[in-house]
Amino acid sequence: MSFTCSRLIFSVLLLALLTNLSACGGSGEASDKTERKATLTVLAASSLTDAFGELADTFERENPGVEVKASYESSSTLLAQMQQGAPADVFAAADEAKMKAAVEENLVDGEPETFAKNREVIMVPKDNPASIEEFRDVAKPGVKLVLAEDEVPVAEYAKEILGKANEEYGGGFEEAVMSNIVSREADVRASVNRVALGDADATFGYTSDYTPILRDKVESVTIPADLNTIATYPIAQLKEANDPELARKWLDLVTSEKGQEVLERWGFEPAA
Amino acid sequence: MGIRARRLSEKRRADTRRSSGGDTLASGLAVAALALLAGFISLPILSLIVWTVSEDSWRAMASPQAREALFLSMKTTGISLAILIVLGTPAAYLLARVDFPGNRALNALMDLPVVLPPSAAGIALLLAFGRFGLVGEYLNVFGVTLTFTTVAVVMAEVFVAAPFYVRQAATGFAEMDPDVEEAGLVDGAGRAGVFFRITLPLAFPALVAGALMAWARALGEFGATIIFAGNFPGVTQTIPLAIFANFQRDLDAAVALSVLVLGFAFTVMLTVRYLTRER
Repeated sequence: MSFTCSRLIFSVLLLALLTNLSACGGSGEASDKTERKATLTVLAASSLTDAFGELADTFERENPGVEVKASYESSSTLLAQMQQGAPADVFAAADEAKMKAAVEENLVDGEPETFAKNREVIMVPKDNPASIEEFRDVAKPGVKLVLAEDEVPVAEYAKEILGKANEEYGGGFEEAVMSNIVSREADVRASVNRVALGDADATFGYTSDYTPILRDKVESVTIPADLNTIATYPIAQLKEANDPELARKWLDLVTSEKGQEVLERWGFEPAA
Repeated sequence: MGIRARRLSEKRRADTRRSSGGDTLASGLAVAALALLAGFISLPILSLIVWTVSEDSWRAMASPQAREALFLSMKTTGISLAILIVLGTPAAYLLARVDFPGNRALNALMDLPVVLPPSAAGIALLLAFGRFGLVGEYLNVFGVTLTFTTVAVVMAEVFVAAPFYVRQAATGFAEMDPDVEEAGLVDGAGRAGVFFRITLPLAFPALVAGALMAWARALGEFGATIIFAGNFPGVTQTIPLAIFANFQRDLDAAVALSVLVLGFAFTVMLTVRYLTRER
C-alpha cells in the first residue's frame, strides 16, 4: 500500500517537474521573440483556409512583428463564438446572413464589405463509386451524400440550389437528395474530406475547395448555372478589435489587387 | 470480497491509531479540498438545471430529435456493454490469471485507448474500417460499409470503453484468493463450474464497477463517433453529438439534452448501486 502510494507521489512529482520544464522552455522561447508585439486575430469561413493562409504570410511579411492568428470554422460556428464573446479583430463569412446577424448583434464596426464570390460544385471521390456524372445524379437512390450542418453557409446555399432544381426537375428531386444524406458535417472542409477519404460518394462544396492538394483524390461535377447560387463573402472589422488599425490593414490587403489575385488563384471569383 | 473488506477495515483501524496524535490541520485541509472539489463539480450541474427551469426549456427534451438521440444512446451503449462483458470477462481473466508470453504487452495494449485522445481513435478507426481503410477496403468488396452506420457507433464505443471494463475485471480476478478456487476443484467441481460458481461471484463487484465505468465512457463518447461514424439523427447522432449539433442553433435544446443525459446517467448509476448493494 505505502509502496504504491510513494510510487504515485513520485509519478505526480515527476509529471509536475516535466510540466514545469516545458513551461520554462516556453517562456524562454517567448522572451527570445519580444519584438513580436502585435497579434491580429482573424475569424474566417473554413473555405478561406488556403487563401487566407497565404494572405497571412504576406501580411506578416509586410508588417514585421505582427502575427496573424486565424481560426477557420463554419461561419455559423464563428458567429456563435463571437456571440459568446470570443475576442477577435476581423470576421470573414461565407454568406451574408451570418454577417447580417453579427451586425444586428452589434459586433461589427463599420460597414461590411464584399470581398469574394464563390460557386457550389458537387465533389465526388476520384473513383466515383456512385457514378455521379452530372448534378442530377446526386438524387439517385443509394448515393451516400454528406452535407454540412444546417446554418453552415454551404448547406444553406445547397438548399437554395435544391429548391430551384426541384422546380426544374420536379418529382420530389429535393426530397430524394435530402434522403440520401448519411452525415451532417461541421463545415464544408470536413464534408469535402469525407469525399477525399472515399467514405462519402458526394458532397456539396465550393469551386475553391477543389484545391491542388485534393485534385488527385476528388473530382468536381458542375451544377448547372441556372440552378447555381453565387456565394457572397463579406468581411468586417469587429467592435472588440484589439488593434483596429491592424484590422483595417487586413481588410485593405484582402480587398487590394494583390489580395484579390490570391483569392482568384485559390478558386474564388472577384467581388466586383 | 468479505475477506478483503475485513482486511481493509483492520488496516484502516491501524491507520487511525497511528494518526491518533490528532493532526487537525491535515484533516482540515482535506475537508477544504473535498468541499472545493465538490463545489466545483456540483456548480456546473446545478447551472444546467437552473437554466432549464428559468428558460423553460423542458419542451426541448420531448422533441423528436432528443428522443431519437436518447434512444440511440441507450441502444448503442447497451450493445457495446453486452459485447464488452461477453468478450472482456474471459479476456480479463486470461490477462489477470494466466502468465503467458506477451501478457504484459497485451495488458499495455488494452490500456492504450484510455490515453489515446478520442479524436485520434476516430481517425484510426476510419483508416482501418473506412472505405479505403486497411480492412475496410476488403469489406467494401463484399458490399459491407461501416462508416455512417449505427454499427460504427458501437465500434467506436467499444474501442474507447473496453479498457475501463477489462482493467477493473482483471483487477477483480487478480485480487481473488486462488485457494478458494482450488478448494472448489478439490471438492470435485470442474474448471468451468468453478469459474461460474466461485470465480465469477467473487469477482462480481469488480465486474459491476467495471461495467458501470465502461458504460459511462461509452455514453459520453463523442470524438471517435463523430469522426468515424458521422453525424445523422437517428442513425449515428447519439446524445453527445446532438448536444454539439444544437449548441450553434438552439442553446435551449443543447441544455435540455444535457439535463436529459445527466438524469439518465444518474438513474442508471443509482439503479446499479441499489441492485448490487452489499446485503
